[in-house]
Amino acid sequence: MTTFVGHVLNGLSFGALLFLLGSGLTLTFGLMRTINLAHGAFYALGGYIALDVGRRVGGYWLGLVVAVVAVALLGVVVEKYVLHRLLHRELPQIMATVGIAYIIGDLILWTWGGRPQSLPRPPGLEGILRIGGLVFPWYRLALIGLAVAVWFALQRTLGTTLTGARIRAAVDDEAIARSVGINVPIVFATTFAAGSGLAAFAGVWGGAFTGLSPGSEWDILLLALVVVVVGGLGSISGALVAALLVGLLDEFGKWLFPSFALFTLYAPVAVLLALRPQGLFGRSERVA
Amino acid sequence: MRTSDDGPARAPDPRRGAATRPWRRGRWAVATMLAVVLAGCTGSAVDSDDATSPAQAGSASPTASGAAGEPVVVGLVNPVTGPFAALGEDVNAGFEAYVDSRDGVLSGHPIEILSEDTANDTATAQEAVVRLVDDGADMLAGFVNSGVANGVSATLVETGVPLVITTAGADALTQRNAADTIFRLSYTSSQDAMPLGDYACRELGHETVAIIGLDYAFGWEAASGFAKVYEDAGCDVVQEVYAPLATADWAPFVQQLDTDADAVWAVIPGADGIRFMQAYRDFGIELPLLAHGATTDEQILPEQGDTALGAITTLHYSAAIDTPENAELTEVFEAATGNSVSQYAEHGWAAAMVLEAALAAIDGEVTNEALTAAIADVQLDAPRGPLAFDDFGQAIHTVYVREVQEVDGELVNAIIGDYPETSQFWTYDPEEFLSGTPLGDLRGTWE
Repeated sequence: MTTFVGHVLNGLSFGALLFLLGSGLTLTFGLMRTINLAHGAFYALGGYIALDVGRRVGGYWLGLVVAVVAVALLGVVVEKYVLHRLLHRELPQIMATVGIAYIIGDLILWTWGGRPQSLPRPPGLEGILRIGGLVFPWYRLALIGLAVAVWFALQRTLGTTLTGARIRAAVDDEAIARSVGINVPIVFATTFAAGSGLAAFAGVWGGAFTGLSPGSEWDILLLALVVVVVGGLGSISGALVAALLVGLLDEFGKWLFPSFALFTLYAPVAVLLALRPQGLFGRSERVA
Repeated sequence: MRTSDDGPARAPDPRRGAATRPWRRGRWAVATMLAVVLAGCTGSAVDSDDATSPAQAGSASPTASGAAGEPVVVGLVNPVTGPFAALGEDVNAGFEAYVDSRDGVLSGHPIEILSEDTANDTATAQEAVVRLVDDGADMLAGFVNSGVANGVSATLVETGVPLVITTAGADALTQRNAADTIFRLSYTSSQDAMPLGDYACRELGHETVAIIGLDYAFGWEAASGFAKVYEDAGCDVVQEVYAPLATADWAPFVQQLDTDADAVWAVIPGADGIRFMQAYRDFGIELPLLAHGATTDEQILPEQGDTALGAITTLHYSAAIDTPENAELTEVFEAATGNSVSQYAEHGWAAAMVLEAALAAIDGEVTNEALTAAIADVQLDAPRGPLAFDDFGQAIHTVYVREVQEVDGELVNAIIGDYPETSQFWTYDPEEFLSGTPLGDLRGTWE
């Protein structure tokens, strides 16, 4: 029984990590219909900045704040000068953001070197929880809580506030939104900044889980795409459910069928998408 | 059973003739032709074991006096971008640091270093090799990814330019696919793992072991090398678990480990090694941890921190080796790069030492044949300790038993035992070894 509980908790914690990875992408890709394949690079950049600040100046939380703000600003620049010129043009967006990801990746290699790095866990979460036969690190437990908190904050902001209504309006019909006085470029820049900042936030928290090394930005991007696509484009709740579900399926797959470890993550995804191509919570697509 | 036709026949005698002239660099073409005319058949004469051959070059060759030798060009072919950048950069920096510390001259020859990025990609590496050879490289050193090395080796062998592999581990490169011009001074995947099979069974008395490794050729060959020696020593592998490269979450794998085993043996290098150690401690696995030395490599050890404490591993190098040679490497390398030394830095450094020793033994013009023959006979004291090549071009070196300990607040691979002159075939007969199933194919047969 404790074994089972352990695997459930672990699947949930891996799912929580996936949700953190995917939440920023859900905002930018899902909500704004802007494909940002530099998402993984933003994640890595956030992690490296936090690591650097932490080592130079000290202080985990300072590093977190600096990383999130810096990457959010970078996101604004990328949106304003690159992606906004490519609105609704997916292929150029893909080319541009892949290019940006490569540039960021090489700058990271140049600045911080190629040796794998590992971020510290947040202060106070280094320990291990032991109840009876159950052994579980506090940090992973905290990830689950954090994922739920991020989901709640995003859901509330987008679902019930005026800002959220503006974003949804700007995405759904830009011309009408402009005509009722919504400053669409600012709305887009803000949303993109939030998405990029979330990527950096995930990089700082998740970096203690995944570590940072050259090329890891692409692994992270793949995982984030899984969450967004399975959850349904633009659905925050869908992303959470998808992430937890995929996390659990992956955990149990690796536990029960370790020889098929390479497929336990993507095989369920393929099946889910075959059954529900629009994702779990996806809206039916309006043909643009 | 698939017997290897070429294995036994391959070892001693040169397979290739000397038909490599067209590839020689243009700049020295005139000198080369002159030397060929003057020296006659010296090229093919150098296959006796005592390669010093004092008489033959003596008066004939214009450069024989060795006062100011002709420049020698070295091509470094390593990844300096992509996932293995840190390894490639250490190799390059190690090589350059040694040459710089000798003021750019090895055994009287000014050394010119050319460097190309393989970007961890076979096509790119292929171009790099061709370009370096066209630019006049007398020797190549490099390769991290065995797939890339395998893909390029045919082209390279055709050029006749000797290659010293500095990291790529695939057993076949110096076993079933061995070539006269290819040498390797890093380990074969299984070579450094084998001694721990002996040590775990006989010295540590662990009678059963669970194996956990990365699911690719290096992991399979290393695991099977360990398992073969371990089981031949009379102990028993009870489990084999393999996880894909870049596994984000190691928890499901470490939770499967058979806790009835006496110990765990792991082969998980790189960033995966950091995540693995973390999960191993996070989930309270109490079994003693043994591992291939790359799992606690100096490049990742500081990041693993306390999670790696107590792990016992085997490798042909440790930054903790206490010899004048290693002290010099440490001092020069760290001053030049600001990075701590690693086995990869030592590989680059040792490659330059090999070149120096080989050049010292060449009395006459530095041809592909002369350099190849001279490298084959090199014996020297590298930072790792005594180093020589076997008949297949693979390094014979001491494999150290190391334990991760904290010394003055820093984690080190402290040396607690050694296996001098460890061959890639361990104590097995090469012919017999090569006629069996390749180790990589034995994955999953030990449990």
